[in-house]
Amino acid sequence: MAQDTYRIRLEAPGLAARIRPGQFVMVRPTLGLDPLLGRPFALYEVVRGEGGEPWAIDLAYLVMGRGTARLAGARSGDRLPLWGPLGNGFGLPRAGVRRVAMVAGGIGQTPFVALARWWMGQERYGLGPQPGEPWVEAVRLYYGVRTAGYLAGLEDFEAAGVEVRLATNDGSAGYRGYVTELLERDLESGWRPDHLVGCGPEPMLRALQGVAGRLGLSCDLSLENHMACGFGACFSCVAPIRAEDGTVDLKRVCVEGPVFDAARVEWESGEAARGL
Amino acid sequence: MGVRLGRLKLANPVLVASGTFGYIRELAAYVPLDRLGGLIPKTITPRPRAGNPTPRTVETPCGLLNAIGLDNDGIDHFIAHHLPYLRTIRTAVIANIAGEDEDQFVAMAERLSAEPGLAALELNISCPNVTHGLDLGVDPTIVRRLVGRVRRASDLPIIAKLTPNVTDVTVIAAAAAEGGADAVSLVNTFKGMAVDWRRRRPILANDIGGLSGPAIKPLALRMVWEVQRALPNLPIIGIGGIWTADDAMEFLVAGASAIQVGTATFADPGAAGRLLEQLPAKIAELHVSRVSDLVGTLRSNREPDPVPPSVEPSRRIS
Ligand SMILES: Cc1cc2nc3c(=O)[nH]c(=O)nc-3n(C[C@H](O)[C@H](O)[C@H](O)COP(=O)(O)OP(=O)(O)OC[C@H]3O[C@@H](n4cnc5c(N)ncnc54)[C@H](O)[C@@H]3O)c2cc1C
Ligand SMILES: Cc1cc2nc3c(=O)[nH]c(=O)nc-3n(C[C@H](O)[C@H](O)[C@H](O)COP(=O)(O)O)c2cc1C
Ligand code: FES
Repeated sequence: MAQDTYRIRLEAPGLAARIRPGQFVMVRPTLGLDPLLGRPFALYEVVRGEGGEPWAIDLAYLVMGRGTARLAGARSGDRLPLWGPLGNGFGLPRAGVRRVAMVAGGIGQTPFVALARWWMGQERYGLGPQPGEPWVEAVRLYYGVRTAGYLAGLEDFEAAGVEVRLATNDGSAGYRGYVTELLERDLESGWRPDHLVGCGPEPMLRALQGVAGRLGLSCDLSLENHMACGFGACFSCVAPIRAEDGTVDLKRVCVEGPVFDAARVEWESGEAARGL
Repeated sequence: MGVRLGRLKLANPVLVASGTFGYIRELAAYVPLDRLGGLIPKTITPRPRAGNPTPRTVETPCGLLNAIGLDNDGIDHFIAHHLPYLRTIRTAVIANIAGEDEDQFVAMAERLSAEPGLAALELNISCPNVTHGLDLGVDPTIVRRLVGRVRRASDLPIIAKLTPNVTDVTVIAAAAAEGGADAVSLVNTFKGMAVDWRRRRPILANDIGGLSGPAIKPLALRMVWEVQRALPNLPIIGIGGIWTADDAMEFLVAGASAIQVGTATFADPGAAGRLLEQLPAKIAELHVSRVSDLVGTLRSNREPDPVPPSVEPSRRIS
C-alpha cells in the first residue's frame, strides 16, 4: 500500500459477517511457536462475494517488528491462526452528529475507511448486504505521517467520498507539522465537525483530547496498548480510564476498548508516565 | 480420565493455569469449560491491587515475560461478582489466593471455605512480581507452617503452587507436603528480563518479570521429575509451556497427576479444549486405561529396562 505498509486478505466468513469498524482481530503470523503471540489489527474492510455475502476481511499493517515482518512474508493460501471480532468498536454515531473529523496518526488510519463507509451508509457491517441510511453527511480525514511515502489507502478514502487533509512532519505532502495542528487551524478558520474520532500514537491522541476539550466537542479515541491475548485473559493491555463518579480504574483495552470516550482517558500508566 | 490428587478428585487431568484464563468467563466462547478437569481463575488478594504499570508483558523467543503484579479487585469482589458465575460451571473450580503474610492466607482460606462451590484452594506462594509472595515461597520453614495453618483453617483440599526460583525445589515441595498439602503445582514463572539496549532500559515497567511458555518446558519437566523422585507420594500438577497433548503426556509420565495449560491459551484461545480432546488417543498409545497408570512411569536411562530381555526368547525355547 505504501512504504512498509501492506494489505492482507484473510478468508473468514463467520468473522467477516459480524465484525464492526473499530473492532479488531488477533493474528498469529505463523502456525509455529515463534513468534509466539497474536498481534492485534483493526478491521480495514470487509470483503463481500458476488452474492453479497461477507467472506473475508482485509487488514492493513505497517511492518514494525518480527511479527509484522513475518506477516509480510505470508503467501496466498497460507493458513494463519486468527481470532475475533474483539473489542467494542466505534458503535453508531451519537444522536445529531452530521459532520465528523477522523484524525489518524501513521498506521492509525486503518479503522477509518470502514468507519466512514459505515457512518455514511455505504456498508452495513454485520447488518446484511444492503446499504443503510446514512447517519453522517460528511467525513473528513485528518491524516498525518512522518513523510509522504507512508501515506496509505488514500484512494480508498476518496472512493468512500471522504475529504482528506494531509500533514507530514517533513512537509513532503500537505501541511508541514502535526496533524492535530492542521485540525486546529481548520477549526479556527470556521470548519466545525460535531464529533471527532482519533487513532494513532499516544502524543497525537493526547493532543486531540486537548483540542476536543477546549472546543467542547465529543471525541472517541481508539487506543493501541500492547496486547498478549486480545480477549481479556492476561491483563497486559490496561489503561487508566475515569468512571462517571470520577474514580480512575485500570481497564482492559482489549475488552472494554479499544474505543473510549476521550474525556475519560487518563495517561498516567507506566508507558506514559515514564515517557516511553 | 479421572484423577485424584490427595482429597481432590478431578474428572480429567487438564486444568487451566491461574492468570492465563482471566476469570474464566472470558474464555467461554473458546473452550467447553465444563469439560475441563478444573478451572483456576486469576490470583485473588485480600484487598484490590492495581498491579504494575505497563508494559506488563513482552514476548521473548518461544516465551512470554510478564509482570502483571496480581492486578485484581480483591476477595470481596471475587465472592460477589465472579464466584456466582463460576458456581454455574459443572467442573472443579479452584481458587488461587495470595496474601502478603501467613495471616492473610489463613483469613482468605477461611472466608473461601465458607463459600459453596469451590473444589480446592491453590496457594500462590510463588508470584515473582510481588516481593512478599516470593519471599514466603522460598523458605521451607515458612512454607511448612503456612500450608499447615491454611490446612487447619479450611476443609478444602490445599494445593501449594511453588516457585522454580530456588536452588532445590524438592526441599520446598517436602515442606509443603509436611504442612499437609494435598498436591503441589509445579511451576510458576522463572524470573527473567528483557532489555532494550538502545534506551538502556529493561522493557518491562517492573524491570523483571516471570518467564513462561514453551521456552520453560524443559526446566519445568526436570523439576516435576525431581519432585516425583524425591517425594513419590506427593501428587504434582505439572505446569510450564504445555501446548499440546504430547506436552501433557511428557508431564504425566514424568510424574504429574494433572497438568495446567497456561500461556498457550493466549496464543491459541482454544488450546486447552483441543489438548483435552487429543489426550485419550495419546494415553491409548501406551495401552493403559487409567491416567494414574501413566503417572511417574518415566524411567531414567541409567535404570535397567523394566521388562527383562529374557522373557521373549524363553518362550521360544518352550
Ligand atoms: C486494537 C489495536 C489495533 C491495531 N491495529 C493495527 C492495524 O490495523 N495496523 C497496524 O499496522 N498495526 C495495528 N496495531 C498495532 C500492531 O498490533 C503492532 O504494530 C504489532 O503488534 C507489532 O508487532 P510486531 O511483532 O511487528 O512488533 P514487535 O515490536 O516485535 O512486537 C512485540 C510484541 O509487542 C506487541 N506490540 C508491539 N507494538 C504494538 C502496538 N503498537 N500495539 C499493540 N501491540 C503491540 C506485539 O503484539 C507483540 O506481542 C493495532 C494495535 C491495537 C492494540
Ligand atoms: C500473564 C501471566 C499471568 C500470570 N498470573 C498468575 C497469577 O495471577 N497467579 C499464579 O499463580 N500464576 C500466574 N501465572 C503463572 C501461570 O499460572 C503458570 O504457572 C506459568 O505461566 C507457567 O505455565 P505456562 O508456561 O504454561 O504459561 C501467570 C502467567 C502469565 C503468563
Ligand atoms: S490483551 Fe490480554 S487482557 Fe487485553
